[in-house]
Amino acid sequence: MEKKSLWKKITGSREALLFVILILLFIVVTAFNSSFLTPNSLQNLLKNNAVTMVMSLGMLCVMLVGGIDISIMSTLALSGMAIGMLLKYDHVSGTVIPFIIALAIGAACGFVVGLVISRADVPPIIATMGFMYIYRAMGYLISNGGEWASATALGSFSDFATTKILGLNCVIWIIVICYVFFYWFMKWTRTGRKIYAVGSNPEAAEVSGINVKNIKLLVYTIMGILGGLGGALQVGIYASAMPDMQKGGEMDVIAACVIGGVSMSGGRGSVIGALLGSLILATIAKALPLIGIDSLAQNTFKGVLILVVIVVNVILQRAADKNALSRREM
Amino acid sequence: MAGKSGRTINNVPESPVKKMIFSWEGILVLVLIGINIFCAIFSEFYNLSSLLRQMPTYLAEVFLMLGMAYILVLGEIDISVGSTVCLSATLACLASNAGLPFVLVFVVALLVGTACGIVNAIILTQFPELPPMIVTLSTQIIFRGIAEIVLGSGGSVSVTNTDGFRAIGGKVGQVPYILFLVLILAVIFAVILGKSTFGRRVYAIGTNRLAAYYSGIHVQKIRFLIYSVMGTMSGLCAMFLISSSYGANTTTGQNFEMDAIAMAVFGGISSTGGKGNIAGGIISAFCIVCLRVGLGQRNVHAQVILLIIGLLLIGAVGLPNIVGNIRKSAKKS
Repeated sequence: MEKKSLWKKITGSREALLFVILILLFIVVTAFNSSFLTPNSLQNLLKNNAVTMVMSLGMLCVMLVGGIDISIMSTLALSGMAIGMLLKYDHVSGTVIPFIIALAIGAACGFVVGLVISRADVPPIIATMGFMYIYRAMGYLISNGGEWASATALGSFSDFATTKILGLNCVIWIIVICYVFFYWFMKWTRTGRKIYAVGSNPEAAEVSGINVKNIKLLVYTIMGILGGLGGALQVGIYASAMPDMQKGGEMDVIAACVIGGVSMSGGRGSVIGALLGSLILATIAKALPLIGIDSLAQNTFKGVLILVVIVVNVILQRAADKNALSRREM
Repeated sequence: MAGKSGRTINNVPESPVKKMIFSWEGILVLVLIGINIFCAIFSEFYNLSSLLRQMPTYLAEVFLMLGMAYILVLGEIDISVGSTVCLSATLACLASNAGLPFVLVFVVALLVGTACGIVNAIILTQFPELPPMIVTLSTQIIFRGIAEIVLGSGGSVSVTNTDGFRAIGGKVGQVPYILFLVLILAVIFAVILGKSTFGRRVYAIGTNRLAAYYSGIHVQKIRFLIYSVMGTMSGLCAMFLISSSYGANTTTGQNFEMDAIAMAVFGGISSTGGKGNIAGGIISAFCIVCLRVGLGQRNVHAQVILLIIGLLLIGAVGLPNIVGNIRKSAKKS
C-alpha cells in the first residue's frame, strides 16, 4: 500500500519524476566515466549552460501565459554585442556598468516585443519571428558589419566569469540568485500568481480584474531582461562577442522548458521544472561524449529525447484521464 | 441595422473593383509594384532580365511557402521544414555521388522529404493533443542531426556529376524552369485550397476544429496528408537548392521555415488558422524575392534584408489590428 502511494507520488508529480530521471542520468554517466561527478566538472557543466538555464526562466513565464518567444537569442546577441563594442572602443569599462547596459537593452527589446504582442494583437510566434530577424540584424549593424570583440578588447569585464566567491564561480551565483528570485516571485508574489491565472484562463483572469495585456507586456519584458543578462553572461563566459552568437539557441531554451513540463498552451509549469529540464538537457549534452557517443549524434539524441518526453507525457495524461473517468463511473 | 448582438448586416454589395483593390491581395500587388519601382531606382542593374537571372536562388523557398500555407490555414505550424530540406539535400547529393541516374536522385530527394513529413504526420495524428510547434521543434533537431551524422566530421558534401542539376537549373529563353514550376504548382495549390471540397474542409478545420470534426470531416486524415505534402515540397526545394549550390552542408536550409512562414503570413495567411489564400502568399513571395534581388545587387548585407522583412512582417500583421482597435474605440466614444 505504502509502495503504491509512493509510486503514485512520483508519477503524479512531474518534478519528482524529472528528478528521478536526472539522478538516474547522473548514476549512468558516472558508471561510464567517473570524471563526471567531480565538483569541478559539475561547476563547468553549470557554467557552460548558464545562458540556457537563466533564459529558461523567462521562457517559463512566457509559456505560462500561452505565448512563445523565439527572438530571445537575437536579444542576447544585440545586448551582448552592444557591450562588446562599448568595451572595445573604451566607452565603458569595469563589470557592473556593462551589465546594467546589457540588462537595459534587453529590457527595451522585450518591452517592444511585449507592446507589439499585447497591444497590436500580433500572434507571439509571428511577432517574435519578426523581432528575431530585426534584433539579430541590429546586432550585426552595431558591430560595424561583423566585427568581433575579442578577449583583449573586453579588458577586465570577463574576469567575473573566472572569479570565485565562497568557492563557487560568480556565474553559478548568478544562476542561483535568479532561480531563488523566480521561485519566490512565481510562488509568493501577487504578480507571479497573476501570470499563472492569465495562463490557465485568460477570460476568467480578465473578469477577475487582472489586466491581461499588462501581464503579457510584463512577461515579455522579463524575458527581454533575462535575454540581456544572457548576453552579458555569454560575453563574459566565452570572453568574446560576435553578432551571430547563440544562433538557434532559442530552441534549446524552449526544449528545456518543455522537458521540464511547461505546457505550450499555458498555465502549467514551475520554476523547479524549468531548472530540472535545463539540467537534464545540459547533462545529456555533456554526458554523450563522456560515455562514448560521437558528438555528431548529440543533436539527434537531444531531439529524440524531447520527442520521447512529450509523448510519454501525453500517454501518462491519457491514462490519468481514463482513471479519473472510470472512478467517476463507479 | 444593428441586431441584438450589435452586429450590423449590410446587404448592399460592395462594388467588385473597390473590393479587389482594398482586399489584402490588392494592397500586396501595389506593394509589389512599389518594391519593383524602388529596386529599379535603387540599383541600376535591376531590370527584367537580371531579375529572371538571379531569381532562382530565392525561388526554391516558395515551394515551402505553398505547403506552409496549408498548415497555417489549419491553424498549425511546421518548423521542421528547414531541416527536412537539409536532410533530403544531403541524401540527394550522396545518391548522386553514388552514381544513381538523375531521375532516381530526384526521386530520392522527394521520398526523403515525404518520409520526414510522414514522421511529423504520424506523431501529430497519433497524439493530436501535442502542439505542432513542439513536435516539429524536436523533429527539426532530429532531421538536421541525422544529416550531421550522415555528413560526418567534414560537415559538407558537393556533387561530382552536376549535369542533371544543371539541367533543372536551365531556362526557356530567359525564363528559368523553376519559375514555371512555381507558378504551375501555385495554381494547383490555389485551386485545391480555394475551390475544392478538400480545401473548404481545411478552412473548416482551421476555423473550428471541433465543429469540423462533428460535421464529419476526417480531421486527422487531412492533417496527415498536409504534413506529408509539406515534406514532399521540402524535397522539391532541396533539389532546386542543389541546382544552384551543387552541394549541401549542415547549415543548408537553416531558417527556411521562418522565411516560408514570413512569406505566407505577409501574404495574409493568418497563423491562427482559417484565413488567407495562396494568391496572397504567392504575391508576397514575389515581393520578398524582388526585394532580395534588388537589394542584393547593391551588396546590401543579408542581415539588413532580414531586418526589412522582419519589419514588413510585424507591420503587415500589426497595423491592421491597430487600425481596427482605433476604429473600435472611436465607434464606442
